[in-house]
Amino acid sequence: MRKLTRKVSMYVLLTAISVVFIGPFLIMASMALKPASQPVFSFPPDLIPRPPVLDWVKEAWTAVPYPRFMLNSVLYCGVGIPVYLLVSALTAYPLAVMTFRGRTLVFFLLLSTMFLPGELMLIPRFLVVSELGLADSYAGVILPGVLSAFGIFLLRQAFAGVPREIVDAARVDGCGEARIFWRIMLPSVRPTLAVLAIFGFISTWNSFIWPLVVLKDSAKYPISLGVAYLAGITGSDVRSMAAGTLLSVIPVVVFFMFMQRHILDGMKGAVKG
Amino acid sequence: MRRRNSSTGAVGGRWYTPWVFLVPGLGLFAIFFVWPAATAIRLAFYRYNVVSPPQFVGGRNFAHLLEDQRFWTALKNSLILLVGLLPMSVVIPLLLAVLVNQKLRFIQIYRLVYYLPVVTSMVAVAVAWNYVFHQQGVVNWALTGFGLLDEPIQYLLDPGWALFALTIVEGWKGMGTYMMIYLAGLQAIPGDLYEAARMDGANAWQRLRSVTIPLIVPYFAVALTIEVMDAMQVFTSVYVMTKGGPQDHTLTLGYYIWSAAFEQYDMGYASAMGLVLWAMLIFFALLNYRLTKGRTV
Repeated sequence: MRKLTRKVSMYVLLTAISVVFIGPFLIMASMALKPASQPVFSFPPDLIPRPPVLDWVKEAWTAVPYPRFMLNSVLYCGVGIPVYLLVSALTAYPLAVMTFRGRTLVFFLLLSTMFLPGELMLIPRFLVVSELGLADSYAGVILPGVLSAFGIFLLRQAFAGVPREIVDAARVDGCGEARIFWRIMLPSVRPTLAVLAIFGFISTWNSFIWPLVVLKDSAKYPISLGVAYLAGITGSDVRSMAAGTLLSVIPVVVFFMFMQRHILDGMKGAVKG
Repeated sequence: MRRRNSSTGAVGGRWYTPWVFLVPGLGLFAIFFVWPAATAIRLAFYRYNVVSPPQFVGGRNFAHLLEDQRFWTALKNSLILLVGLLPMSVVIPLLLAVLVNQKLRFIQIYRLVYYLPVVTSMVAVAVAWNYVFHQQGVVNWALTGFGLLDEPIQYLLDPGWALFALTIVEGWKGMGTYMMIYLAGLQAIPGDLYEAARMDGANAWQRLRSVTIPLIVPYFAVALTIEVMDAMQVFTSVYVMTKGGPQDHTLTLGYYIWSAAFEQYDMGYASAMGLVLWAMLIFFALLNYRLTKGRTV
């Protein structure tokens, strides 16, 4: 009996805390779905839309080229993340399993970039990207993001954990280096690749400051900039703003819900190293 | 433990094999990290407004830093943010982690909910909190309702409240990250340690103090490093919610650097500030390393 009350009070506590974390989103959802006849704000707060309407969602969808922004974000993720995974794996692999002159130097050089403030890099990166003729282009948004110390670090741990016997057996069978990497090592670190893909997706989908700096043409905006763009256009119209923001949140939340069980493993791997 | 096959390494191949693998990564590293970093260091000694060619000014940008009142305001605000975020990156997330580490049905869902703000974009978070902090929003309703407040406050426009409100939003968004880090740490602690402590008659608080906390110190180190990096670089929330106002009360280093570079087109000065920020981040990282290493050894 005591065990049961303990359990129930735990659920009550956990649920009460949940309100703090989803409350702001619920308020936003309520605003996005309220009919025009119902006031947006009131004392006491009236959060249930009566009846819920999709007018504001439609308005946000058409006021700015939302579908276009969504497609852009899908493109940035769809191209950027596979490249990110491949480049990180290629870089991490020799650092994990080969001994060669300069290995420690390369590793620490890469690690040192973790402490470069994003704001410091913003200006010169913009200059570099302009010099390469990539300003205001899709490539200019994607390329600087495909290398991160975090990804290399995590994958290096994973590669180092693959049993050596598997590689030896493959070599006896006459496997070349490239084949070992592609056919044996990459599949062995699939869980880590999944974690990186999740973090990559979340950060690419939400990336704001870099696309803001590099893009002039709003037709190339990702959805996160699209929300800010919507704010500029709709001005004080809070309902369509709320609706538009909600639309931008849904894809990443759905993605995360399906992939979330990998995140904790990723955290473990990241700290252990 | 590990067997080495030959002098070239555990995995065979010729001397150049590792470098073939490293070429794409190091190439991108050179283009998007080394070259920009070198450019930033160089630019800090120039006056450069993008339109006309850079003009060498020596240490003038750094001298200007010392007398620029707005820089000191930005630095002060960033440090206040850093300190203000501490409870929301150390204490509360640890308690949350202990809570969601229980063996309960549906516990996964609670972890997911607490992590939700981390997954959503800062823009969306800022929009959501604008409604919470609205003059007729729930915060004002609750505070006036409980008689704690006579008049509703416009938190983001009030000089006394804006930075505090910003701290709440930033802290709220980040808590899930730290919770997951601590949760990973908690799950790495062997269960029999708790059994032993329980046998010795330690209560829940004593178990937390003498088993849990000492063993997750390395995780604190990671969390603190992330917290300092994030807090000192706060930008997006300021950009979306306050634009640094009212009267520079939410002007952070991150926002001031961006504004100097892309609003005032003073690239040299912005780079100088960026270098100072870089130095501070390295200082904090070393300090953190020293403090936490001293504990564990």
